[in-house]
Amino acid sequence: MGKSESFERNFNRLFAVFEEDGFIVQNPTNEAYSDSRTDCEASIAGSLSSKMKITKTLKPIIYRKDNANVQLLQKAVVIVEKT
Amino acid sequence: MKSVNFGIDLGTTNSLIAKYENGKAVVYKNPVGLKETLASVVAYRPERMLVGDKAREYLTKDPVNVFGGFKRKMGTDEKYYVVNIDENVTPVELSSIILKELKKFVPPTEPMEAAVITIPASFDSMQSNATLKAGQEAGFKDVFLLQEPVAACLAFFNETSAKENPAGYWLVYDLGGGTFDVALVKASDEELKIVDHEGNNFLGGMDLDFAIIDSIIVPAIIRQTGIENFNEELRVKYGKFETLYYQVMYYAEEAKKELSQVSDTVIEFSATLDGKAYDFYIPVTRKDLDNIFAPLISETIALLNKVMERNKLSAADINQLVLVGGSTYVPQVREQLAAQTGITLNYAIDPSTAVAVGAAFYAAGKYYEPAVSIGLENDGPLPEITGLPEGITAAVADVDIAISYNRSSRDSEEILLITCTGEYDKKQYRIIRKDGGFDTGLTVLKAKKTEFLPLIPGMANLFTLHVYNETGDEIHSLTNEIAITQGMFNIDGQPLPHDICIEVDDLENKTTKLEVIFERNTLLPQKRTLYREISKTIKKGSADTIIINIIEGDKNSRPSSNLGIGCIEINGKALQSDLVKGSDIEIQIQLDDSRVLSTAVFLVMTQQEFKNVFSLSEKKINISRLKEQYAQLENELGYTIRNFQNNNDDVWEIKASALMAELHTVKEKLFKLKEKDKSDEKYVIAEKITRISQEYDKLGGNERIASLLEEYFTGKDRVQEVINGADFEKDELRKQFQKLEQSETSFINSKNVSVVEGKMRQLEDLYHRALGSTTSFLITVFIEYKTYTREEFKDHNAAKSVIKMADEALQKERYPEFRRHVFSISSLVKSARYNSNIDFKGTGIG
Repeated sequence: MGKSESFERNFNRLFAVFEEDGFIVQNPTNEAYSDSRTDCEASIAGSLSSKMKITKTLKPIIYRKDNANVQLLQKAVVIVEKT
Repeated sequence: MKSVNFGIDLGTTNSLIAKYENGKAVVYKNPVGLKETLASVVAYRPERMLVGDKAREYLTKDPVNVFGGFKRKMGTDEKYYVVNIDENVTPVELSSIILKELKKFVPPTEPMEAAVITIPASFDSMQSNATLKAGQEAGFKDVFLLQEPVAACLAFFNETSAKENPAGYWLVYDLGGGTFDVALVKASDEELKIVDHEGNNFLGGMDLDFAIIDSIIVPAIIRQTGIENFNEELRVKYGKFETLYYQVMYYAEEAKKELSQVSDTVIEFSATLDGKAYDFYIPVTRKDLDNIFAPLISETIALLNKVMERNKLSAADINQLVLVGGSTYVPQVREQLAAQTGITLNYAIDPSTAVAVGAAFYAAGKYYEPAVSIGLENDGPLPEITGLPEGITAAVADVDIAISYNRSSRDSEEILLITCTGEYDKKQYRIIRKDGGFDTGLTVLKAKKTEFLPLIPGMANLFTLHVYNETGDEIHSLTNEIAITQGMFNIDGQPLPHDICIEVDDLENKTTKLEVIFERNTLLPQKRTLYREISKTIKKGSADTIIINIIEGDKNSRPSSNLGIGCIEINGKALQSDLVKGSDIEIQIQLDDSRVLSTAVFLVMTQQEFKNVFSLSEKKINISRLKEQYAQLENELGYTIRNFQNNNDDVWEIKASALMAELHTVKEKLFKLKEKDKSDEKYVIAEKITRISQEYDKLGGNERIASLLEEYFTGKDRVQEVINGADFEKDELRKQFQKLEQSETSFINSKNVSVVEGKMRQLEDLYHRALGSTTSFLITVFIEYKTYTREEFKDHNAAKSVIKMADEALQKERYPEFRRHVFSISSLVKSARYNSNIDFKGTGIG
């Protein structure tokens, strides 16, 4: 088995442990960005536009699911550019 | 009169709100994003207003509509022209917007009519009055001002033991994100006074980050890429390296934080520069930062010394140096301050919330006259308010808002339509997702308005719609809750009609149980990987097997009551090496749109993968597992019948006995079946066992569950009594008991007979263990054993000698030894009280 394959396996395993504990991890790269997205802390590169997109994610969004409630635990740190 | 209690730190970069309650100051969190701090930035975006962190993102990109740092302009006649609203706003107005936003941190149940707001030591009367005005504009009836260093000292005195002996001089060193202040405070009995202060409005933690970029990151990038003028290019606004600039800003801050805890770290990132991809790996040590931070820290110390010299004070005259502001967490700041000033440092309080906390303590001692007397202060009933002009109720209900939206969605966002009639002019609304991941900001109401609400996949998303009047006060009667479920219960998708489970071993009860993989009503397709451990060792080449049995049905029922929809068997002959108990197994389960089940099993220890695809029409049955299921069902039925007999439940007993008789009709056939049998026989038998098992589950209905639960709770009291009287292993027994107690809600909710019965058996086991740990009981048993005849022991001679030793131990009161001997005797008795199913094989998955 290749090194990268086993890395992926171990990484997925870690991910699954988080999910079992009720954590939801989301990578928002390529998603549309607007000023109402309070789940991200954005740095805007280039000029502003009405259509912005997340081009880089330095830290993902993490939610915690506790019974039926969802709580934002960690905001993403992202870089946003116009599309 | 009422105590003010609320304290606000209205900062240049960040603001906070705290409340004094029961002797403590509590800092409120922003309901959006749950941070304690609110960025002191206001953004006038097209059609909406943002306050806080979101607004800050636009600060450099849209400076004509976004404003921060206005605290420095308080008390001046400066006005900011806002392009988007074509109006001028003043620093006072902007500050009042921040204050109103802070008010929203506090739950609406707590009335807020007065507050203490902090101001820098350097504020003159003009600036102070401007702050007062901002407070009044934010809707506070009474506003009290307090100097920030005094607030910090108050927090410090109230939260540490320093209040015992406060008299003398104190220095407050406040290094924030972007500003620095140092103040000399004189404390006498119960009074604090600012004697002198110094500051720099453009020196803070951010400058430490820039120093890391300039001295470490940029040189490393240049070394690796050879790009000329990189440093200059990096800082060009809208330049080609702008994305990288924000990236390294983040990494520099993270490295700074990390090196506050550990001695070395690595800044690692990838970037494409001039069309070429690079991986950067830049090691940084705390020592590296010592030299880089030194000039900046020295600058703050120079200001501190200036204050001391001006007041002719030496280090010995100062009680302590109180550290405030997030940047004082940096170890170099603390080390250099200690080394260069010679004053004892104190960082006992949280430097980022100290000012707000101090303001709250101060607020506890300030009083105001509430507008309407509050019911709690009246002993009698609330006075009835009459004679109000009719217009008052109309002012609340003069606008009608209708919202329409889909209650469920498969998209990542859902459209919401707001329709207004009546006096909606100048009113604003705001929609917040309850987890804090979405906030529209304050948006102007219009006759028709649409909002796109982003949804977190696979769950119910809750939003609240708030409406505010012209002055920014919430109109509570118009608050609305909106629930949109994403990815579930949608007509477009196909929900699962039953739970899909995997059968795993329950070694404690020597049986198997179901573990849910996909819950009922989840939408297809679904994919999940389970990580479990192997529960028994399987030797290479042996006939032992691991069984991955996927089942459709009710997650709370017994495995045999459900429909098996897929099964993988891995036996020792397929293994490349031995599979040791406790090693990992990964089971990937996928159900596609048309409910075709695929499983892939990966054994980490042998690095082998086994794949299988099943369609629902194809059944696979493992005969030895079927035999085991038969035996379990027979066992449980037998136990239940005995119980029914004891309780004189005749009707149920007859029914259960009929089921038992039916079960016995397949016994002979089943135990004659060979593993490789090709006939349909095994399917017929499996079908029958499933049906009997289901009927057994339903036997007696709710009434039986109720009576079982009653029996359980009576039994529980008895077990607790015995545990309390136990002489050995009391803690361990209590732990077991608590564990059982904790699982109560889930097994009571399961409403499933076999689950409750399983718990009762656990309780029974615990009862016997507790008895075996009670000396008086052991003595009774021992006396009984002594009356046994030769034939009743497996080895009479051995029993005789152990009985002799036990007698001796008992006489000399060596109880632990006596207990061991009694246990030995019991193992020598021919008919064991409890014969457990030692040969349990199970599925091999724990």
